[in-house]
Amino acid sequence: MLLAMTEPVALLTMRGIVKTFPGVRALDGVDLDVAVGEVHCLLGQNGAGKSTLIKVLGGAHRPDAGSIVLDGAEVSFATPHAADGAGIATIHQELDLVPGLSVAENVVLGHEPARFGFTRPRDAEELARALLRRLGHPEIPPRRELGRLSAAGQQVVGMARALARDARLIVMDEPSAVLDPEEVRNLFRVIRELTAEGVSVVYISHRLEEIRAIGDRVTVLKDGRTVARNLPAATTPTADVIRLMTGRSIEYVFPSRAAPEDSGVVLEVEALSRTGEFADVSFTVRAGEVVGLAGLVGSGRSEILETVFGARRATAGTVRVRGTQLRRGSVPAAVRAGMGLCPEERKSQGLLMGEPVYRNVSLPVLSRFARGGFLRRDAELDAASAVTAQLDVRPADATRGTATLSGGNQQKVVLARWLLRGCDVLLLDEPTRGVDVGARSEIYALVRRLAGQGVAVVLVSSEVPEVLGLADRVLVVREGRVVHTSASDELDEGRVLDLVMEGEARV
Amino acid sequence: MSDLQRRRFLIGAGVVGATVALSACTSNAAPGASGANVAAAAGDNAAAGAAVTIGFSAPAADHGWIAAIANNAAAQAKQYPDVTFEAVNPTNDVTQQIAAVQTLINKKVSALVILPNDGSQLTSVGRAAMQAGIPVINLDRVFDTPLAYRTWIGGDNYGMGVSAGTYIGEQLKARGVTNPVIGEIAGIDNLPLTQSRSKGFSDALASFGYKVGPRQAADFTAQGGQRVTANLMQAAPKLDALWNHDDDQGIGVLAAIKQANRSEFFMVGGAGSANAMRDIKADNTVLKATVTYAPTMASSAVSLARLVAQNRGMGDLVEKEVPTSITLASATVTKENVDTYLPLGFES
Amino acid sequence: MSEHQVTTAPAADERSRVEAAGAAPRPSALHRLLDSGAGRNLGLVAVLVILAVVGVGTADTFATASNLLTILTSASIIGVITVGVTFVIIGGGIDLSVGKLMALASVWATTVATQSFGPVVMILCALLVGMGGGLVNGLLIAYGRIVPFIVTLAMLISAQGLAERISGRRSQIVTDPTIGAIATTRLLGIPLLVFVFAAVVAVGWVVLNRTTFGRRTFAIGGNAEAARLAGLDVRRHTVLLYVVSGLCCGIAAIMIASLTTTGSSTHGTLYELDAIAAVIIGGTLLTGGRGTLIGSILGVLVFTTITNLFVLNNLDTDVQNIAKGVIIVIAVLIQIRARRTSP
Repeated sequence: MLLAMTEPVALLTMRGIVKTFPGVRALDGVDLDVAVGEVHCLLGQNGAGKSTLIKVLGGAHRPDAGSIVLDGAEVSFATPHAADGAGIATIHQELDLVPGLSVAENVVLGHEPARFGFTRPRDAEELARALLRRLGHPEIPPRRELGRLSAAGQQVVGMARALARDARLIVMDEPSAVLDPEEVRNLFRVIRELTAEGVSVVYISHRLEEIRAIGDRVTVLKDGRTVARNLPAATTPTADVIRLMTGRSIEYVFPSRAAPEDSGVVLEVEALSRTGEFADVSFTVRAGEVVGLAGLVGSGRSEILETVFGARRATAGTVRVRGTQLRRGSVPAAVRAGMGLCPEERKSQGLLMGEPVYRNVSLPVLSRFARGGFLRRDAELDAASAVTAQLDVRPADATRGTATLSGGNQQKVVLARWLLRGCDVLLLDEPTRGVDVGARSEIYALVRRLAGQGVAVVLVSSEVPEVLGLADRVLVVREGRVVHTSASDELDEGRVLDLVMEGEARV
Repeated sequence: MSDLQRRRFLIGAGVVGATVALSACTSNAAPGASGANVAAAAGDNAAAGAAVTIGFSAPAADHGWIAAIANNAAAQAKQYPDVTFEAVNPTNDVTQQIAAVQTLINKKVSALVILPNDGSQLTSVGRAAMQAGIPVINLDRVFDTPLAYRTWIGGDNYGMGVSAGTYIGEQLKARGVTNPVIGEIAGIDNLPLTQSRSKGFSDALASFGYKVGPRQAADFTAQGGQRVTANLMQAAPKLDALWNHDDDQGIGVLAAIKQANRSEFFMVGGAGSANAMRDIKADNTVLKATVTYAPTMASSAVSLARLVAQNRGMGDLVEKEVPTSITLASATVTKENVDTYLPLGFES
Repeated sequence: MSEHQVTTAPAADERSRVEAAGAAPRPSALHRLLDSGAGRNLGLVAVLVILAVVGVGTADTFATASNLLTILTSASIIGVITVGVTFVIIGGGIDLSVGKLMALASVWATTVATQSFGPVVMILCALLVGMGGGLVNGLLIAYGRIVPFIVTLAMLISAQGLAERISGRRSQIVTDPTIGAIATTRLLGIPLLVFVFAAVVAVGWVVLNRTTFGRRTFAIGGNAEAARLAGLDVRRHTVLLYVVSGLCCGIAAIMIASLTTTGSSTHGTLYELDAIAAVIIGGTLLTGGRGTLIGSILGVLVFTTITNLFVLNNLDTDVQNIAKGVIIVIAVLIQIRARRTSP
């Protein structure tokens, strides 16, 4: 049962942390132990309190009760600056970097080397270069504008920034969400180097396999409480972890597929191209069929999806729905033809975060609830509530603010929108990113159910098992081209990864 | 599809039609005369002298009075066959006006007529012209030092207030009113000219034992006049007399008085617009008089510039040179004498 | 000393938590009031009440019907413009051109030529000019992809220029008796302009809160990309928003032409700032997506009541400006506090 060979030296001990917001008890007695030089994983569904906990740790929130002991001394961080001074750095999910500044300026942000009030950009660049080299990314130029780096590159800069402060404890909130497998491997290498130097890492992720690969110990949160702490990361059975997170035993399984029938073609994409992003993409989707697009971040898969939907204007090629050719670059035309898109970035592309749930659901079909332009709110609310209830969106009240929902439930709201609209073609871009295990299964079931009702589904996902488990056919996209097409049962995870990465190997 | 095309065509046709109709609405043939006032040269001064070029710079018109200044100057210059008139683009920006005057200096014009946006801020460029040997006729808003101009000609702001105060005082005395409520609607309050006008007004009233009651500043626009007056009518349920500094904003002042249904007092205007004079003549509003601040000064300034440039004196004066300072008197225009002044009134 | 503890939360506890969070209590009458436009602007209502108390205390004519109607009449023109600006700002834009678009419409509608066609043509002319200006704004913003700030600033400048060009920089006097009568007509003792103001606000409120157009305005202002991906025609809607703003300018142009009996290029100077300030004080996010029309109108009323109070007390202009600035900041402070405490 004991994992540690030598007795770990405690760096941080949190006990009984409570944090209440108006109407919500976000943390209700959380314990956390982090030892020197360990990777401590924090697991929990969305809404379990992980984000609030790391904000308490980072000084952004003050706890209502509980104690934080750092290096044997009780501490209390009134501001993020205080936490920073104590050597705690947080790399947030939404990176808190400034896109308009250079890499070096971001690395030293708030601690610019200066003399007599004049900043010393040379020193900053030197520091940034040294840190990036240490992180294994000497190719990132310190003067490059941050916004022009890839998501992975920005993540690395975020880490360099943490190191620049001599952080002893680095909190990483879902660092792998935007990374492809190669980048994740690189990230893990950096983490191991850091821990070897005595830096501790609190690692948050939804992906159990990552936790197995990098973590030392695991603490599980549920509903704002610690339900298990200091489990051995490598050996605790998955079923146990899932049971702890969900409070029930859920098989992480994909619904069975009905054998695809010989139905008519609904979506035809022919020689679709967009200069600089992808070229000559052709595929068809039949009614009731789920087609998966597998590929790395940056392979062009999301761009293809958005172009099919008209959100990006194709430079060549055609999209037809049930034989009718769609106007290029027109989302309204695509929606009229019966297409729906659940975009990659839920918050920035999918939802009106400031509006209640039902208004998000009814958005594409507002006129259905209007007579002479006047909305009949009751009809609208009833219709929207019926769909959200069908999808088991929680909380069940459709008048609640969308921002208060967890990631999984927000995703269901986007799905509910197209369910209400009634779609022939549903385009799903990373439908389970940032979605907890329980909601994932529900979304999988829903996708299959819709397919069963004759909807043509196109699915983009970074997670190969998801594509294989859900899709009938898989298209592998690499460097803006479809390099392989076959039925999903002819493929396995290893084969897909090979196909996806072959291009990288050549470079 | 064809239905959609037809709809688009109809919308297009509608837009074109509306545009044509609208552009027909921009025609603005003003009623009556153009309003420019000129004086014929008389006596010796009528004789043509050496050919001279007179440069002219004034603020951009956002007001009937300023518009009349520019019109009058140009019209007066046309009277003289020996004068070439060179006006630079009017502007309300001090730096642009400085640059404009500078170009006139570089062109070596014979004389300059300048109505500055701000007397103090254009003093340096006035001095530069004088040092370059170009006599400057400073119109109305005075430069800081006499070194910056050869001759100043302008209105009498203090005197204007005195004229208005005197008229109101006399009228109320004649009616035997004791403790009258006298309102005042000023122009832009932070201008020195507004302060001089108000000082003259209260000084004149004091000589009758009266004082100014409710006083508010507008902004020389009809809109500002209306807004301030509408509220002032509420502040003073009963008035005996009202002086409004400016006839342009007076349009709004009169509108507000009419909207408030008030007629128990009489009103005196300022500057002397043709519109105000027509109202005085018709005698069907509360406006019974206006005290002039005539833009004819621009005509006179051009005449002076010609004489100075040609090294001549003023006809009826003994001196061989033009005086350095001429202050115009502010006349009180009433129903009795309005016919004399109506030709000098400027169009708002 | 590695611990390994497992505490499983009882299932019943989980269920109750979900339900506690899920089943929101039925909103009480008080909640509904607080959630209404006026409720969310309790701060502004408080400021208005304070101003009224000061008014009654310092000027005996303040609380008279005729003075209150004067305040409403003064508020009517900037109020109509503010309705349009509220739409644009909630929709995620900004309109700096409103003041001068109104001036241009007032000039165009009062030229000698237009007046010769009579009042109906004058009104149509003002409305068309206003909507035309808004259409140009909207097309340049939505299809020309230029930021609203620049487009409407350019429109402000060129509308001013065109108004000066047409009017020859003179005040064009309204001779048409019908137009002149708009400002002097009273129904049931209340000036017609106040009715026009009320009507524009009422229509604006209904459109914003009860129609698909209003809902789409909130959606586009809140997250234009999400609205676009949900299938809304964001660009067409953006154009319509600026046309609405232009239409309000056209209506205001007729009102000001009647009130001042002139059409002039000097009308509406800095109205854009007053209108935007009223909208922001009224609680509308400058970034769009959230706001109330009632708040904007309360903001306008605060401004005009302040001016009225000052004139009634015969204060100097400089004192007025100082006090106005201070009161704006206080109003916003109270507004923020009030909103924070209300749920």
